[in-house]
Amino acid sequence: METFLVLGLLGSTFAMVFSKRISALIGNFALQSFFLCLFSFMEALKGNHLGLYLISGLILVLKVILIPQIIRYVAVNIKSDENLGFFISPQLSLVCALVLTYLAWLLASTVFMGQPILIRIFGATAFSMVSLGIFLMIFRIIALAQVIGLLAMENGIFLLASAVSGGMPFIVEMAIFFDIFVGVVILGIFIFRINKLFVGIDVSKLNSLKG
Amino acid sequence: MPNALHFFFQVLVLFVCAPLLSGIITKIKNNLRFRRGPSIFQPYFNLLKYFSKDEVVSVHASWIFKITPYIVITSTTTALLMLPVLFYGRPLIFMGDFLVIIFLLSLGRFFLILAGLDPATTFGGMGSSREMFIASFVEPVAMLAIFAIALVAGSTNLQTIAQTSTINTSTIMASVALFLVALAETSRIPVDNQETHLELTMIHEAMLLEYSGRSLGLLELAAHLKQILFLGIISLVAFPAFVGIQFFILKILLLCLIMALTELSMAKMRLFRAVDFIAFAGILSIMAIIALALGV
Amino acid sequence: MLGSACPLLLDPLSLFFGITIFTLAIPTFIYSFGYLRGHYSLSKIWMGQILFVIFILSMLAVVTVGNAFAFLIVWEIMSLSSYFLVVFDSTNKKSIEAGTIYLVMTHIGTALLTIAFLLMYKHCGSFDFSVLHNALISLPERQKDIIFLLLLFGFGTKAGIVPLHIWLPYAHPQAPSHISSLMSGVMIKTALYGIIRFIILILGVNSLWWGELVIVLACISCLVGVIYALMEQDIKTLLAYSSVENIGIILLGIGSSMLFLKLGASTLAILAMTAGLYHLINHAVFKGLLFLGAGSIYNATGTRNIEKLGGLIKSMPWTAAYFLIGSMAISALPPINGFISEWLTLIMLFLGALTYTGGMKIFLCFTAAILALTGGLAAACFTKAFGITFLAQPRSARAQDAKESSLSMNIGMGILAFFCIALGLGAAYFIALISSVANFATGLNMAKINFSLNPFVVAPHPHIFLSPLLLSGILIIIAAFFTLGLRLFFGKAKVTIGPTWDCGYYKLTHRNEYTATGFSKPFRLAFSFFLFPFHKVQKIKESRYHIKSFAYETHTTKIFLEYFYKNFIAGIFGTGKYMRNIQAGSIHIYLGYICLTILLLLVFIGWF
Repeated sequence: METFLVLGLLGSTFAMVFSKRISALIGNFALQSFFLCLFSFMEALKGNHLGLYLISGLILVLKVILIPQIIRYVAVNIKSDENLGFFISPQLSLVCALVLTYLAWLLASTVFMGQPILIRIFGATAFSMVSLGIFLMIFRIIALAQVIGLLAMENGIFLLASAVSGGMPFIVEMAIFFDIFVGVVILGIFIFRINKLFVGIDVSKLNSLKG
Repeated sequence: MPNALHFFFQVLVLFVCAPLLSGIITKIKNNLRFRRGPSIFQPYFNLLKYFSKDEVVSVHASWIFKITPYIVITSTTTALLMLPVLFYGRPLIFMGDFLVIIFLLSLGRFFLILAGLDPATTFGGMGSSREMFIASFVEPVAMLAIFAIALVAGSTNLQTIAQTSTINTSTIMASVALFLVALAETSRIPVDNQETHLELTMIHEAMLLEYSGRSLGLLELAAHLKQILFLGIISLVAFPAFVGIQFFILKILLLCLIMALTELSMAKMRLFRAVDFIAFAGILSIMAIIALALGV
Repeated sequence: MLGSACPLLLDPLSLFFGITIFTLAIPTFIYSFGYLRGHYSLSKIWMGQILFVIFILSMLAVVTVGNAFAFLIVWEIMSLSSYFLVVFDSTNKKSIEAGTIYLVMTHIGTALLTIAFLLMYKHCGSFDFSVLHNALISLPERQKDIIFLLLLFGFGTKAGIVPLHIWLPYAHPQAPSHISSLMSGVMIKTALYGIIRFIILILGVNSLWWGELVIVLACISCLVGVIYALMEQDIKTLLAYSSVENIGIILLGIGSSMLFLKLGASTLAILAMTAGLYHLINHAVFKGLLFLGAGSIYNATGTRNIEKLGGLIKSMPWTAAYFLIGSMAISALPPINGFISEWLTLIMLFLGALTYTGGMKIFLCFTAAILALTGGLAAACFTKAFGITFLAQPRSARAQDAKESSLSMNIGMGILAFFCIALGLGAAYFIALISSVANFATGLNMAKINFSLNPFVVAPHPHIFLSPLLLSGILIIIAAFFTLGLRLFFGKAKVTIGPTWDCGYYKLTHRNEYTATGFSKPFRLAFSFFLFPFHKVQKIKESRYHIKSFAYETHTTKIFLEYFYKNFIAGIFGTGKYMRNIQAGSIHIYLGYICLTILLLLVFIGWF
């Protein structure tokens, strides 16, 4: 079961890195969140904690359904090109993603030395999700990619917290969810503004503002 | 008190004889130029003429113009009061010391410069500017020379200086420096020419150009007094051993002769060369101090 | 850190400075009513007066607090309130520029002071003055030298020692005149209070070269200040540079005091400190008076450029009289106060030269020569300032339409003029008081030190005397003698008013008069090795042989501004430009920086 989850998480993350279109990116993000929801559901079954059921339900509602919808709405309404701008081509990004995953595995081994293998694997997965999120933010031109990258990072952190330490305190989880939701809404608004101002959400155009 | 009477008499004699010195210097100069020239009492006749004439004051001048001659003559006379020729006014010791003489003269000069600017004339402005330029350098040199002398005597108190009679390298060099300062202060060649009224060459005369009548008389008298003041100081310092009225007269006459010879043998210097001249006097004073410090 | 509730020191030194502040604050306050009215809106005047009160209170606090931390706080309040007063005329671009320069320089000084205080705290563990004094005795010599240099340059920035004087000619002219007089009169003196309190009383003079360094810096300030003052045509900038010169003179006294303290000549040290403190209060009074006079002129004519003034003595007689008294004081003319303090400083240097031999003798005589030179040049500067501004014909329509200043301004200036004369005539009495302050300030506290024989005669040495009262008395008697004598012998003088003689030239206008630039031209040439004057000539020719108009401009180069500061600032900007390339403006690169930093940190942690 765990293998399936790890494969799913990593696979969807790689798919995010490899995607060429905005809609693909959003869909892969939804997939990643779905796997995360499955993971937390499994945790809930194991620990039989009511809060965990609620959290997995929230992940399902927010991160699988609502947030991708909002971002799709934004993407449709700014009427931009479907293309995700690349600094590095998708193939090369995939190679980099493999390298980053390996580095994440090394880091997890050092950090979780002496712990059971499952925790190390989940820790590696979490670190790789975080680093691939940053990767997306750095090497994709349009602003939407940055939003998605941020959300992927948050997924990774959630995974790390729940796999390693059995989850964060309930109220912290709630607060984080609320933050994420509001954050996405605001970022959506900003993207509208950027679009209006720069006729497009090509963030590399901000270079011209250099002092 | 006989001392006070003697002192008062001394001041009066100095006062009265001041114009005579100018006449003597002019006479010596003329004799050496193989001319006859005016008599030695001519300055007195000039003063009497000025005092009895009316004055014409410029329409642009203010009260500073009118008050300046009185300030100049007052400060010069006060400085003269402090000179210990033969007798010294006991209570006047408390009035000030050697440095105060220089400051008093600068008081007169300050107002004279303002009075040069007052009538809105170009000549006056020019004279004031040049006079101020030279005076800024003459004053410190005079103070340095006085410092050197005072260091030898051990105090700036004039009576102490008068009583301490030594001749050594420092006092000789300081006296020469004071002599050069006296040339500058009394507007003699090589710094300034008293006999000219050409705008390109006059300094002291230019400031007095607008004055007439009584004011001009007072300013001329003040110039004579400044001259005898400086000659008195130099005779006091340069030849200290000879005390007594006959020696004093001899010393003064000797200095007049030297001054006349100096005036004849040099030409008037350009304004900026005059600074070098004063600087030479300054260097002499500094060397006097160094000589003193080395114990030479 | 503050210790017990911050104690206020009320020892003789603080009282002396407090009295100086009050002496200047009250006439200035009276003056400000007439000056501010009619130029600014009522709300702005209220704000100005509130800032004024804050400024005065902060200065009083600076000279009375007994705790180094509290000292820094009130020092900063003083700097900030004076900054706001400098940029009071906020619509004027020059005021803002002046305020910026002032703010930067004063904060550099405060930074140096903070370092010095923290070094002292590190050694002693407390900020309290008395604790510091006792504990700093055990500090090693090298560290004392460093603290001395930090304190000297920290306070020197505020005092205006060359080369840190750069803000003075910008800030003092732009501030409203009553504030300029306060800044020049007392604010820069609080820096001198700091030097006396911290270096002499708390740190304790340790080496001979301290006093010599201060004297050398003072001599340089004297000469630089007065030479630049001679070249200025803006009356307040001229007064600002003259303040630099006078700070040099006061520092001569204080520096000599430090020198004599280390040499062990106690009487001379106290005499030097007395001369310095006496010149301090004299300068506060006459410089304050001169700035208020300049403010009156600016109020009446709307310009500060003396080349456009002239003939004001007839339309503003009282202002002219007060300005004349101030000019006489600063040119050291008897019997007003400036003369006595300069005389006292010269006598002090002479007595020092008398006591010591060899190199010290020559050094002190050189210093005396430089002091005498600055005295002569200062007199030149102020004959120019007074003569061109007030005398002769008006050089522009604005000068012609000038009116006398209002009553409050006259009263303010009159009080200060009275103080000038009183400090001069009553010098013996005041020197007796100041010598007891100096007794305390040098830390010697000798038993019976008095430099006045009685309330009429100043006697810095058993053989040297000066009695300003006697001198003035004799001057008045002789003046009366001449006036009455001539009247007696030659009758009343008949005076007729006639036109000025200018070689028979028929149309005498103000263009025939001497200009201020022309008046100081000999000095510009004589000091050209320092001033680097250059001129620009522009000829407009109608034909090959006929020149229609001719424009001639002459400038002097301000070497400190050009060669020290501008190069330093250009260097900083150059480095900044070079480092600007890091900031590429792209979000991706910034995120990359973050990522890189995290990676490096991980590696770092991994290795250690």
